[in-house]
Amino acid sequence: MDIKSKIRTFVVENFLFGKDAGLDEETSFLDEGIIDSTGILELVNFIEEEFHIKVEDEELIPENLDSIANVVKYLERKLGR
Amino acid sequence: MDFSRSVLDIDAEAEIIRISDFIRDIAHERYKRKGAVIGLSGGLDSAVIAELSVRALGEDKVLALFLPEKESNPVSLKYGQKQAQKLGIETIKVDISENLESLGAYENRDLVIKSIFPEFDKSYKFHVTLPQDLLEKDRLNYRSLTIEDLKGNRKKTRISASDWQKISACQNLKQRLRMIQQYYYAEKNNYIVSGTTNKTEILQGLFVKFGDGGVDIDPIAHLYKTQVLQLAKKLGVIPEIINRPPSPDTYSLPVTDKEFYLCLDYGLLDLLLYAYQEHVPIEQISSTLELKPEQIQRVFKDFKMKGHATWHMREMPPILDTQTKCPEV
Repeated sequence: MDIKSKIRTFVVENFLFGKDAGLDEETSFLDEGIIDSTGILELVNFIEEEFHIKVEDEELIPENLDSIANVVKYLERKLGR
Repeated sequence: MDFSRSVLDIDAEAEIIRISDFIRDIAHERYKRKGAVIGLSGGLDSAVIAELSVRALGEDKVLALFLPEKESNPVSLKYGQKQAQKLGIETIKVDISENLESLGAYENRDLVIKSIFPEFDKSYKFHVTLPQDLLEKDRLNYRSLTIEDLKGNRKKTRISASDWQKISACQNLKQRLRMIQQYYYAEKNNYIVSGTTNKTEILQGLFVKFGDGGVDIDPIAHLYKTQVLQLAKKLGVIPEIINRPPSPDTYSLPVTDKEFYLCLDYGLLDLLLYAYQEHVPIEQISSTLELKPEQIQRVFKDFKMKGHATWHMREMPPILDTQTKCPEV
């Protein structure tokens, strides 16, 4: 499974309870109320464990984490891909 | 639209009369109860509620409960007692530490902290905070745990969602046990339980569902914190309480409301919260408060996130059959 699919699957299973409903990869998690601030930290925990990285405090910004597309771009930079 | 730094100024005398009448009406007419129980925490809101309740019901119909536990700041009890003495109201002190021990509140919480900082033991103090650079940076909220040893040495680290949820669940037992005690004494005396939550706290979700949120009446829930302060000064609340920095007083290492959750001082927070609620144009807020538009947007985003995260706390439990309701009294 590629990065995008892993992130999408995690978000759909944990925050949309299996209902994909055409979740757009540019949709803001926070603006749309899909994930709250505690949920973002659950996502961070998943990313750290799944991809064996450490998300630094200063990297906890919407640009890195607030949509599927943002998370994918962040991970690709972090993993050097 | 009228928006200025004085937009939250109120006619304190008129508001005192209005709220006192409200308390009396609810207690006597709506609930048919003789008096009110108040958890007097040594903080501003409960002091104001005590003052208003005495005006509404009489000093012999207000019961103040002091509900400390082993991690409470000692000045909380001292200030609460002084405020109660000033009002001449009956007081009862119930230390809830044993209740909390029996529920495993301290033990379960400390296990989580120890899994993060293995050196943590009963000699340490701790608190949890949010980042304090809300105006300066686009960032997400995350919680940090700080521990302090007997020599004052501190360590701090970000904590996971899972660890925060476990710590928070244990900590919230404090407010929920206080609710239990307040209802015990209220029902014994045929009194109502008066809440002390203000509008700033409600909108931001800075209260515990069925903890300090579990009450019969919320007399100052329509007032921002800075408006409660205006009432406090008019009512003659003791100066120690007026001058005390607002704090949740639930962590062994002292922490203010700002550090724990709000990220802004109440003076600025309330004006921005008002502007957010009233849809004041960003340009107008910017010129009045001398903030850049991007700073205001950051704060509004924070308000939105906290509102989303805590909306369920402000809702009554959903009922499937909407016909399930009592006739109006």
